[in-house]
Amino acid sequence: MSSEHNPSTPSFEPELTAFYCIYCGYMAGDTAGALQVDYPPNVKFVRMPCTGKTDIRYLLEAFEQGADGVYVVACPIGNCHHVRGNERGYARLKRAKKLLDEIGLGGERLEMFFMSGSQAQAYANAARTMTERIRKLGPNPLRLMPKPAPPHPEEEDEEITFRGRRPKR
Amino acid sequence: MPISDQTPLRLKPAAALVVGGGIGGMRAALDLADAGLKVYLVEQTPCLGGRVAQLGFMFPQHDCVLCRGTPDHGYGCVRPSISPAYLQHNQHPNIEILTNTRILEVAGEAGDFTVALRQEPRYVNIERCTSCGRCAEVCPVELPNEYQLGMTRRKAIYKLAARAAPDAYCIDRGPYCDDCRRCVEACPTQAIDLEEPPRLLSVEVGAIILALGFRTYNAAELGEYGYGRYQNVVTAMQYERLASRSGPTEGIVIRPSDNRPPRSIAWLQCIGSREKENPFCSSICCMYATKEAILAKQRLGGDVKCNVFLMDERAFNKEYSAYFAKARQQHHIQYHRCRVSGIAEDPRTHNLIVRYADPDGTLHQEEFEMVVLATGLQPPESAAELAKMLGIELNAYGFCETDKFAPLQTTRPGIFVCGAFSSPKEIVETIIDASGAAAEVMRLLNDRLMTYPYTRQWPFLANDQEFPPEREVNGETPRIGVFACSCGDVIGNSLDLMRLLHEAGRWPNVVLTDQVDFACLPEGRELIRRRIEQEGLNRVVIAACSNRTHDSLFQRTVRLAGLNPYLLELVNLREQCTRVHRNALPQANRKAIEMVRIAAGRVALAKPVYKEKAPCTPVALVIGGGVAGMTAAVTIADAGYEVHLVEREERLGGNLLDIYYVAEGYNPQRLLRDLVNRVRSHQRITTHLRTEVIRHTGHVGRFQSDLRTRLLNGTETVTTVEHGVTIVATGAHEIRDHPMLHLPGVITQRMLEEMIIHQPERVAALRDVVVIQCVRPNNLPDYCSRVCCTNAMKNVIRLKLFNPNCRVTVLYKNIVTYGFREQFYNEARRLGVIFMRYTDDHPPRVFRVTGDVLYVDAYDPSLGRWITLPADLATLSMAVVPSEGTAELARLLRVPLSSEGFFEEAQMKLRPMDFMREGIFLAGMAHYPKFIEESISHAQAAAARALTLLSQKQLDLGGIVAQVDPNKCVGCLTCTRTCPFSIPQVIQVEGRSGVGGLGSAAWIDPAQCQGCGTCTGECPANAIQLIHYTDEQMMLRSIGGLGAWKAPALV
Repeated sequence: MSSEHNPSTPSFEPELTAFYCIYCGYMAGDTAGALQVDYPPNVKFVRMPCTGKTDIRYLLEAFEQGADGVYVVACPIGNCHHVRGNERGYARLKRAKKLLDEIGLGGERLEMFFMSGSQAQAYANAARTMTERIRKLGPNPLRLMPKPAPPHPEEEDEEITFRGRRPKR
Repeated sequence: MPISDQTPLRLKPAAALVVGGGIGGMRAALDLADAGLKVYLVEQTPCLGGRVAQLGFMFPQHDCVLCRGTPDHGYGCVRPSISPAYLQHNQHPNIEILTNTRILEVAGEAGDFTVALRQEPRYVNIERCTSCGRCAEVCPVELPNEYQLGMTRRKAIYKLAARAAPDAYCIDRGPYCDDCRRCVEACPTQAIDLEEPPRLLSVEVGAIILALGFRTYNAAELGEYGYGRYQNVVTAMQYERLASRSGPTEGIVIRPSDNRPPRSIAWLQCIGSREKENPFCSSICCMYATKEAILAKQRLGGDVKCNVFLMDERAFNKEYSAYFAKARQQHHIQYHRCRVSGIAEDPRTHNLIVRYADPDGTLHQEEFEMVVLATGLQPPESAAELAKMLGIELNAYGFCETDKFAPLQTTRPGIFVCGAFSSPKEIVETIIDASGAAAEVMRLLNDRLMTYPYTRQWPFLANDQEFPPEREVNGETPRIGVFACSCGDVIGNSLDLMRLLHEAGRWPNVVLTDQVDFACLPEGRELIRRRIEQEGLNRVVIAACSNRTHDSLFQRTVRLAGLNPYLLELVNLREQCTRVHRNALPQANRKAIEMVRIAAGRVALAKPVYKEKAPCTPVALVIGGGVAGMTAAVTIADAGYEVHLVEREERLGGNLLDIYYVAEGYNPQRLLRDLVNRVRSHQRITTHLRTEVIRHTGHVGRFQSDLRTRLLNGTETVTTVEHGVTIVATGAHEIRDHPMLHLPGVITQRMLEEMIIHQPERVAALRDVVVIQCVRPNNLPDYCSRVCCTNAMKNVIRLKLFNPNCRVTVLYKNIVTYGFREQFYNEARRLGVIFMRYTDDHPPRVFRVTGDVLYVDAYDPSLGRWITLPADLATLSMAVVPSEGTAELARLLRVPLSSEGFFEEAQMKLRPMDFMREGIFLAGMAHYPKFIEESISHAQAAAARALTLLSQKQLDLGGIVAQVDPNKCVGCLTCTRTCPFSIPQVIQVEGRSGVGGLGSAAWIDPAQCQGCGTCTGECPANAIQLIHYTDEQMMLRSIGGLGAWKAPALV
């Protein structure tokens, strides 16, 4: 169901997810459209109010849901509408890259690009760079794995629902 | 017989005219519109934005940040304007933009003008143009592109820039356009009408603001610099385009002769400024040349040689001195103190040969691959003609004449001025002027504020009246309608929309799919609205074009159909599929389906969002009773609102109490008397002397402050006041702390002024006076105090007038007599004052041997040795520092301080009178050292911003903001550290206990939250959710929205 082609064949076409902020990131996409700058159609976009919203869980979730690569398009450093949201987002993205390295997915499947709203070429290049990179790396290994049983049937602990520290049983 | 008034009673216009659609005009129009006045914004070109639209970066932070021009958030990029209120489909209901328009005639008087206007045809209907660009593709006429200053070409039918406001094409119908009508045939929306006639309009307004901007000096007038003859000599504006990301090379600087990045660049300063013909300083060139040089280093590599040839470094605003230091130390930009008299070209390489002299007199010859001429500012082209028509006076330089103590008024009542039309100015000053001029208009039209109410309760600006009641959708299962817009054939030709809609029809909760030809045109919007009502839809997906330009439009459509505007998802097929995947249409189709699938999944989870309605207490608190505080208080009170004016000292006046004369010759004591009398007699101003603010709580619209007053009998009382806004005008003062000041005969510049006034006979007897500029105690950061050079000039001119034989020597680092103040520097030199430059390597030393005579040791670079000057009197221009207690007040108000210790505004360039905390404003020297006229403008600007809030009965706060779940908060303070605006606080509130009975939990004030979501991404307890971007809505687990594509491959 996930896709019609066999991801292991050489004609593998990566399926990427890109997050962008509604400021420079989105604007760069609009400029690429206005100037008709072509880039690979392998990427779908998800909007965030600011790349400061970048949550490690979202990045990992995208891989868990089968994305072959993920990237984030942000305003140039120092140009963030929210002063330094992009820097905070970048810090988290770097942490996520480490996690991806640790679990064997590879941090290079995740990237961040900084550009101003008028940089159509930079926007297109981000899509090109990631598409080519992931083409070489091959599909997300999680896609090739047999589907595991639904992960830990949520033992909802009403008292402590925050992430990370479940009480030992 | 009863006498009947024959003329029917006519209401005076609650409207204003703003001339000039640059950054100043836009700012002024916005403030007026926000105060409920109707504004006609007249611009003679087809597009708003003015000069700033052509600048990619602003010094000193190298940012664009036009999106930070107002506190609005959630709209995205607003370039070329400064506010989402100028986005075409979100336009402020009170602003009418008239492009291609000129003034023909003005009749009437202050408060009641009638203005005749002529609007040239655009030939393209803004309402129908979809910016598809078909017309330009078929247009046979190519012309130089003026936006790129002739470095690229455009068609006769064109859009000035990819981002333009209004966002539509226009036709330049010069003689080159032969009416071939190809554009008319190509236009899919029949938006072009070549027969469109010019429009003559007559508008009634109460006041006029002139924001005409400036013209840059024509460098070709100075033949010795070879502009126009030598290919690689460019003007600063051309360089700005080359260095801009939206320029012809996306920001890679190349030189014109061979399109190669230059390895060496020289900037020649003061081209058309500080010279015989134009004896004023253009104020901005030192800074922009430094910016351009740093950009060259950053873009072309650190080994590019960047040399700037200047006379003085005029870096006279916040952080500017540090910026110069950074340019020199970190980027190794070379500054030469020399005015270059001419350049020559090497005809083979087209390199340029610059000859210059060192401070010690040695001559050098150096080759550069490119030369940038830092051209100065001139009065706008239309100035003379317009001045004649309006009956206002121009000054000797051709700029608008103003009074020093009424810096925003022209010589005709009711007509105000802002920005570079009154004197050369940078962006910050223009913004301050613009809001200040708006305050003047609000004062004049005080009985008409809020004649035109509007609302920010929705994610778009609107009149309150136009919408039906909202339909309750909570509890309903989602009924999603998916509309796909073919955009004529722009989308329809490349994408198989039938297939897309067929797929969409199979997704959960989708009950309707429909194709629309032009969703954005009235007929398309009407169709969508009808379908929503007929089918009882409660969620809508529109697959069409850009969220940035069209979110507001379709949100409005959905709202008109009775739905909350947040129940809409707009998918951008046009910019993100059809126009960028022209060679991969099958995949583009698949991507389109996938993106619409995600949107449908996301909209199903959407919930209505409402803003909080909060009343606004129509009272202002002004802290500080100097010229800024008093001006702000009088302005607000004149406009009709109560003011509490708090002054710590016994008397109102601040620094003005000790200023006896100014360089321009006006009497500041007259201003003081006038201001104090107006404050004291104003029925709406309550003055609290000997009073300090000791507590300040609440948020915009509803602050509460405790004022502690020292009574004359030695006791204290505390009064509590409620107010909607706060203005901080606590000022600054000359520091009197330096070891040299302990020597008898050494005084400060202000003391010299006092001596000149009170002991003229003693001053007249002086034979040798040495003035030392830029003196500060060791522990103080190095910044330019802005006012001291001009103050030194006014004093040394007096010394010379009292006694022409008095030898006056000024030891300086840089003479910063910017703007028209340059005349006083010229006058001082003409009178024989000796100016000697010193550097921090060789600072002058004052000492006394015996007797009455002081000596000053100074290093003379041209002689290469120290010389000793005798002095009866040595005067030090001491640094200006923030008032005592500034840091405590900043803590109390929870606002930041800058590195120099002054208050830090919300945004350095675009919001100099706002704090990031809404409802608190900044005026006068508390911001940075300022001249009287600058403090007045700043105070009026702060008053204007305050009035835009005070004039509203209620404020709409919140919307897309972060919310803390107190039951999950562990009080770890991560959010307080992460928030770029320091908004979260961990506080104790009843019922918000935190995890495990912690006792307190994080609280994010919806009135302040900017909605970036940075805290939500960082919270380790996952206790914060951003409304409309919740984890559920972002991760889309139920439909697998973030990962592998589920749309089937199309072949």
